[in-house]
Amino acid sequence: MKESTRTALLVAVRTLVAAACVTLVVTARTPVGWGNLLVMLAALAGLLALLASYNRRLR
Amino acid sequence: MTTSAAPPPSPTNGASKSDAAPSAGSSRRGAPARARRRADTRFVLVCLLPALALFAVFMIVPTMNVFRMSLYTWSGFSPDMRFVGLDNFRHLLDDKQFVRAFQNTVALLVVVTVVTMGMGLFLAAIMTRQRLRGRNLYRFVLYIPNVLSVVVIAAIFSAVYDQENGLLNGTLRLLSLDGLQQVWLGNQKVVLYSVAIAMVWQSLGYYMVLYMSSMASIPEELYEASALDGASPARQFFALTLPLIWENLRTTLTFFIMSAVNLSFVLVRAMTGGGPDGSSEVLLSYMYKQAYTNSSYGYGMAIGVVIFAFSFLVSLLVSRATRREPLQF
Repeated sequence: MKESTRTALLVAVRTLVAAACVTLVVTARTPVGWGNLLVMLAALAGLLALLASYNRRLR
Repeated sequence: MTTSAAPPPSPTNGASKSDAAPSAGSSRRGAPARARRRADTRFVLVCLLPALALFAVFMIVPTMNVFRMSLYTWSGFSPDMRFVGLDNFRHLLDDKQFVRAFQNTVALLVVVTVVTMGMGLFLAAIMTRQRLRGRNLYRFVLYIPNVLSVVVIAAIFSAVYDQENGLLNGTLRLLSLDGLQQVWLGNQKVVLYSVAIAMVWQSLGYYMVLYMSSMASIPEELYEASALDGASPARQFFALTLPLIWENLRTTLTFFIMSAVNLSFVLVRAMTGGGPDGSSEVLLSYMYKQAYTNSSYGYGMAIGVVIFAFSFLVSLLVSRATRREPLQF
């Protein structure tokens, strides 16, 4: 795979994962419960992991 | 007039002197140096003492008190305080309203941070890189909300969201979009996002100006060189601007997460009071209600401990996730 294609794919995957995490936080808010809160915290952890993975390349 | 001058120290002289009495000479020189060092340390400690005392009295003692009080049941007024161990924390597990407040806090934290940081970066990049006409005016207009008191902002948004005469519903009526009209602060589904919009509006300008100042310090030659290499503005932003302002971004992100928790409390308190039916309650407003309205001070402090642990953990994780060597340019 070409380097540019790989980079574009990586950016697309990261964007999708970030959007999915934010959507998960928004949708899991409505039913009240510990399970939903854990899902929201997992989505928050996902966003932080994404930030860390983006940063690792440039650390 | 006669002057007496010491002969210039020759290498041989110096060597012979130090060879002759190395321990006696160094101990004689060392003693005053040690004494001076000790005096310096004492002076620094004396200078630091007022600040340390204030920090201990106003930060450490109250924080420890929050932890201590979370183990008691106390109304906040009566002299009766009963030690209950971890009972307050056990009650938190069964408290639906606490879970809802926690969920709202996490939702606000994620949505407001992502939107504010994203828009702040985007607007700062446009204002800095594109030669917009009247950009100083835009900057001024966007910065104004940060100067206003949060309570004033709450009043402005309460007027904007007003069901009958509000700007939002009025505009929708004018555009014949009556179906989109809402009771913005009375509908359980949208009330939290109405507060989130006020939070974004309040903090966007401040972060935009911060990013603009960092972006303005990036040398123009770097952009010229990358343009010659065929980099598009988007590529320049991600490959050049973002890495070069990373330290600023990192600091503001950590700072924003902590301040968002506080800001949400003030806005919720002033705009909705946690309603309708607790659907816009956040952790700090729930803690305030329990401690000062519901006369359950110990329970409120248990919520305070959870807020402290959560904010501390998230800030620590953000700081770790964004740590990198600062770039020199």
